[in-house]
Amino acid sequence: MRILIVDDESLNRFLLIHMLEEEGYLDCFEARNGDEALALAEQIKPDLILLDVIMPGLSGFDVAPKLKAMNANLYLPIIFITSLDDKESLVKCLEVGGDDFVSKPFDRVILSAKIRAHSRIRQLSSQIEKQNQSLLYHSRLVEREHAIVEHIFNNAIVNQPEVLAFFDTIISPAAVFNGDVFLCEASPAGGAYFLVGDFTGHGLASAIGVLPVSRAFQAMVKKGLAVSEMAVTINETLLSLLPSDMFFAACIVEVDISGTRFTIWNGGMPQVMLKSVRGCRLRYFPSRHMALGILTDSEFDADCDVIEAEPGDQLLFYTDGLMEVMNESGEMADEHGVIDWFTQDDVSTALGMYNCAKQFRGGAEQADDMTIVVFNCQSLESLKHRFSINDLPYTISLSLKGAELRNPRIIDSLMEMLNSQPGVALVRSDLYTIFSEIFNNALEHGVLHLDSSTKNTPEGFIRYYEERERRLNALEDGQIRFDLQFLPTESALLVSVKDSGSGFALNSPEIRDLSNSFGRGIPILRELCDKVEYTERGTRVTVRISMVR
Amino acid sequence: MTITAALSENRNTLVIQVDDKFDFGKVQSFREAYDKLPDTVKVIEVDLSQTEYMDSSALGMLLNMQKSLSDRKIEYKITHCRAQVSRILKISRFDKKFVIA
Repeated sequence: MRILIVDDESLNRFLLIHMLEEEGYLDCFEARNGDEALALAEQIKPDLILLDVIMPGLSGFDVAPKLKAMNANLYLPIIFITSLDDKESLVKCLEVGGDDFVSKPFDRVILSAKIRAHSRIRQLSSQIEKQNQSLLYHSRLVEREHAIVEHIFNNAIVNQPEVLAFFDTIISPAAVFNGDVFLCEASPAGGAYFLVGDFTGHGLASAIGVLPVSRAFQAMVKKGLAVSEMAVTINETLLSLLPSDMFFAACIVEVDISGTRFTIWNGGMPQVMLKSVRGCRLRYFPSRHMALGILTDSEFDADCDVIEAEPGDQLLFYTDGLMEVMNESGEMADEHGVIDWFTQDDVSTALGMYNCAKQFRGGAEQADDMTIVVFNCQSLESLKHRFSINDLPYTISLSLKGAELRNPRIIDSLMEMLNSQPGVALVRSDLYTIFSEIFNNALEHGVLHLDSSTKNTPEGFIRYYEERERRLNALEDGQIRFDLQFLPTESALLVSVKDSGSGFALNSPEIRDLSNSFGRGIPILRELCDKVEYTERGTRVTVRISMVR
Repeated sequence: MTITAALSENRNTLVIQVDDKFDFGKVQSFREAYDKLPDTVKVIEVDLSQTEYMDSSALGMLLNMQKSLSDRKIEYKITHCRAQVSRILKISRFDKKFVIA
């Protein structure tokens, strides 16, 4: 406890110091006037000041506020030592910033009691000051961390403007960080993918999950995966990442290039609504699944809904923040409120819907994140050109012998190898059909010597496939070889398949009687490929597929 | 899920839904889907909304279904096709035997 004594009379100072020493206060300093007191206080940082009122030069009344100003954050007790005893002077002692007074001649017991009392207050004040400092430090730390996280979020969730332009969106977080998310990407197969989702709660804790979701989404879009596969993967990711009381309601959507056919997986999101361009007829597509991040792989249901719309129709997606908007008397807008807002105009906008919600809310605060996404059904043809076709030539050869031909995943593996090539996704469905036709022809006729004409009766049809299975399981010889060659200058894929069979008569591979359950493969090949050629007595087929659609 | 069959509430429509690949691997399960068909069924709808890939064996299965049930008066529909699937049905002139919606 460091005490500064300010008095112009040396006797007084002597008495005080002597008395304080007896009380155990050994760390005492003296000043003879106001100026000296100010200079010394600056230097020694006293914990308490005993201040005389009447001094030549600066009086105690002048010095007190100056001393107080020196350390505004921490309580510095000033006790006036005064011979004045009129009420006015005593009041003034306190008004100029003094905290207490003792009258001369001073009473040792009273004075030391007062010193103890004020030093307690100073200790408390010093504790508060320390806590304030640490609060300030932490709040700055949090601010800085938020700034970093915000930066990461802003970079992680970047929707390409060309794709975003097809969506009418309002994204309105309740706090700095958004637990709602809207992602959209052009599909390598033409068309686009998008995701509208809502993590439990709001703020940073719920926003953090957006990062892995957006990364996984982007990676899967690049591969052109099916919506159901995306749902499974995101569910799996979140199940392992999120605490058990947190989950992610989401609509994952693929829209085809016509902009009118939607494949939707909706888990725990409000119902999706489709408004017909002809009149305000609404169709509802409620969620059939639980939110993501709850169910294990074996419990998870990846079934999707398909919505077929017409150009000009409007598809509305929103998070529950919209329908859970409350007015000032605590009533929720609810689903029917959203329906009213969506149907009040022939053509709705996200902003229009948002304003309805805001008006409904009145003066009440926004309690949850709110996202509104309106898709106006229109062709997405212009997004197709965002994907380039490989400009390097490549070849893939696959030679399968005997038992290897039993593998049920031959076509899938071939597709997987090709899928990594840019531009392939656009023609993926066609490629699958083409490979499947060519391969099954080579296998069933070239290698297994099956006779298609047995397929012509219902019983024969089943028997044919049973026989196929039987012969395949017994297969020891036989070979099928795929040679795929990509020709970058022609943007075409050349596929040649050779089987080890004895060939077939190359006559009339045209479509015959429409009611035949066989003989449809070749017309399909002719339609999907630029060129189909059978050579080497029908044991080799070569097709040319244009990768530009 | 590979192939699921669901009877409508009034028992006059059977909806057969196929998954992403409609190829020879589905021969058995597709036939089972319309096996023991109740007499009340007047419409069979093949929902291809999930189907991304198909080949000519799928066409065979569809025709085989019609043939197996040829002694009954049933309307056949193929619904919710993707553009690519639609195209294959069109190439094979399936619109003559099925209502393609």
